[in-house]
Amino acid sequence: MKMTLLGSALLASAVALAGTGLAQADDFPSKPLTLVVGWGAGGSTDIQARVLADIMTEELGQPVNVVNQPGAGGGVALARLANSRDEGYTFVFGTSMTITFGPLSSETTYDLDDFRYVAGVTLGQSAIVTGEDRPFGDSWEDLVAYAQENPGTSYATQTALDRMIIEYIAQQEGLDLRIVPTSGGAGMAPLILSGDVDFAYSGGTHSGYADTGEMPVLLSLAEDRLVAFPDAPTLQEAGYDINAAEIRVAMVPQNTPDAHVERLAEALKAATEDERFIEITEERILMPVTWMPEDEVTQTLSDQVEGYKALIEELGGLPGEDE
Amino acid sequence: MGFDAILGSFAAAFHYESIAIILGGVLLGYIVGVIPGLNRAVAIAIAIPLTFYMSAYAAIAFLIGLSKGTAAGSAVSAILLNTPGEPSSAATCLDGYPMASSGKPRKALKVGLLASVIGDLLATLLLIAVAIPFASVALKFGPYELAAILIFALVFIAGMAGGSFLKGLAAGGMGVILGTVGLDPETGAMRLTFGYAELMEGVPILPLVIGTLALAEMFVQLDEYRRNKGGSVIKLGKNTDDDLSYREFKGTLPTIFRSTGVGAFVGALPGLGPSVGAFMAYGLAKRTDKDPDSFGKGNPKGIAAAEASDNAVIPASYIPLFGLGIPGSVSAALLVGAFMIHGIQVGPLMLRDHPEMLFTLFSGMIVASLLMLAVGWYGLRLFAKVTSVPAHIVISVVIFLCLAGIQVQGYGTFGLVTVFVFAIFGYFLKKFDYSFVTFLVAFIVTPMLEMNLRQSVILSGGDVAILLQRPIALAFVIFTALLVLHLSWSAYRQWLRKRLKAPEA
Repeated sequence: MKMTLLGSALLASAVALAGTGLAQADDFPSKPLTLVVGWGAGGSTDIQARVLADIMTEELGQPVNVVNQPGAGGGVALARLANSRDEGYTFVFGTSMTITFGPLSSETTYDLDDFRYVAGVTLGQSAIVTGEDRPFGDSWEDLVAYAQENPGTSYATQTALDRMIIEYIAQQEGLDLRIVPTSGGAGMAPLILSGDVDFAYSGGTHSGYADTGEMPVLLSLAEDRLVAFPDAPTLQEAGYDINAAEIRVAMVPQNTPDAHVERLAEALKAATEDERFIEITEERILMPVTWMPEDEVTQTLSDQVEGYKALIEELGGLPGEDE
Repeated sequence: MGFDAILGSFAAAFHYESIAIILGGVLLGYIVGVIPGLNRAVAIAIAIPLTFYMSAYAAIAFLIGLSKGTAAGSAVSAILLNTPGEPSSAATCLDGYPMASSGKPRKALKVGLLASVIGDLLATLLLIAVAIPFASVALKFGPYELAAILIFALVFIAGMAGGSFLKGLAAGGMGVILGTVGLDPETGAMRLTFGYAELMEGVPILPLVIGTLALAEMFVQLDEYRRNKGGSVIKLGKNTDDDLSYREFKGTLPTIFRSTGVGAFVGALPGLGPSVGAFMAYGLAKRTDKDPDSFGKGNPKGIAAAEASDNAVIPASYIPLFGLGIPGSVSAALLVGAFMIHGIQVGPLMLRDHPEMLFTLFSGMIVASLLMLAVGWYGLRLFAKVTSVPAHIVISVVIFLCLAGIQVQGYGTFGLVTVFVFAIFGYFLKKFDYSFVTFLVAFIVTPMLEMNLRQSVILSGGDVAILLQRPIALAFVIFTALLVLHLSWSAYRQWLRKRLKAPEA
């Protein structure tokens, strides 16, 4: 039996050594990587990240472990990543809004310049959604009319950005809403499906209910109408001058060596061409897969930041800032 | 989830790779169970880091195999050493050791093993049968119901986990406070982080668990090790009539079934734990037997009762876990942690989001029961020898594994400091008899409780009358109030009695 104890001790020490980073830069990656998802398990970012991790594991020859660090609309994961010194072994897969809008809406310990954007791989399909059999049906106009007559209509928020958008809309339309926090699509779905909440922000979870019609879309938050819900108008079409289009990107700290970023980008590129990633993204989550290399993503994101800054200025400060 | 898919998940569990992983878990669990002083919680806590390199399913199956194995293995040292390998096998000593000392150690071990396996298997089947309908009902619960049920569960655990109710509440309160560390879910404000970015997403669960459970337990063991050394081990002889006949086994079957029922009942209630289950079943078997005096002198039914119940508690304690997302025992709370690390939210949502995972886990649990039988049967001789591994080796290896585990997760110096802080904290929790289950479960469910409670308050606009429209939530609020009254009343009476007695002494 001492053999077994010795064996497990050896195993543990081998594992421990692998973890403490005896790695050399040139053979990156030489130890397991961590893919951080800034959202709860079961949401669409998480579902996608798990397939991405599997494919990257094959491409990089090292295990890629998915870790959820939910909180502050993905901000917790980024705050932690900004302090990371492990040269690309830990990277975040998340939504562009966390990095574009996050630093504007709250005091963050990071901003756009703290990271390198390895690549954009998916175009977001976020939306304002509702449930079945609501008194206002599934049209945005009717919801607005209903909410104007019924103070206390409830809305579930997941991010600071959707909260700002909805408070901007509430201000424009004269609505008195009850806004509840929830985390991730997995937290939002039960609230909408059970009817406890009238309408909600959804990052992508709604697409999974496209066939059953359990989660109709009221408004598209993407640049265009959503692939799976062509009837719902975009924000602009509904008369709000906001561009909140979202890109799903992989990020590493600014100090990550070029060689590591390139290696990760290669693996990500391979993933965007892999059947499994395309299938889970386009058929399950129903978002278009895309390929945006580092310079293109970085430019787009910085344009968005300028846009949000202009919007906040127009609003005369952030709504809800005093809360 | 069609029938084909269920069959498919069984096929996945019977795949040789997954059998190998579960076997590894059961084997390791068995060894841990046999070694006195190394308990289930320690084993799971230090094994979680080892599972980083496995798939989510493999990791959970390994940990479940491990926790089941400990329950069966602990009977070995109870019988041969008169020292329970797990506190929950203390009832097994009562008849196991006398039987072994009268020259029938092999028979005692086999009765213990068969009772363990049957208790475990039946309770696993019960879990599968009950958890799914439970979860489909629970899926319809809104924030009101969940908040009410979680509060009820916490108070219940604080009251039932043994020791004083006040101490239980205090332990739960500490768990709640630690559970609120990190970013506020609504406003994003920092709470109790003291400027440490590492605390932004809450107190990291692994250093907390390894510190309070494993490392602190080793300190306690060291303490005891200095005081008492030695103890004699009964060796397995070559005695030919020292074996279990089919007739004797059949005689213990009714006891096994009844004790499994007791164990499953105790397990399904959060907070009671396997020790309570084992002693309750033992007491019941003794009271209902024709010859109660034969108990305590080596009656195989005594061993069967204690072991069947002890093992039935483990799978049954997963009923509230998979059905409601409420961990009712230390090992269930640890599984939640392991699930979180592997990115799965355990609870009724699993049924909808990861049904294949749930069914594969259930089939893996059945595989684990069967492997337990094989491991225990053929490893009898081997495990009998493990009882004599010296404590100083065990303790140092475990301390090493604790610290290595923290490093694997990549917490760095922060993790090491945290783990020692929690080790000291855990040591005092144990020394002063604060309920550990209550602390850990409170810590784990606090984020969920907070989110649901805040949602309820905002959605209702702070109006308590909403409860009248939510009968389930209302019922649990009332249960909670009654429970608090009842527990405080009995705590007060106990205190009175103690005070009245004090002058006599």
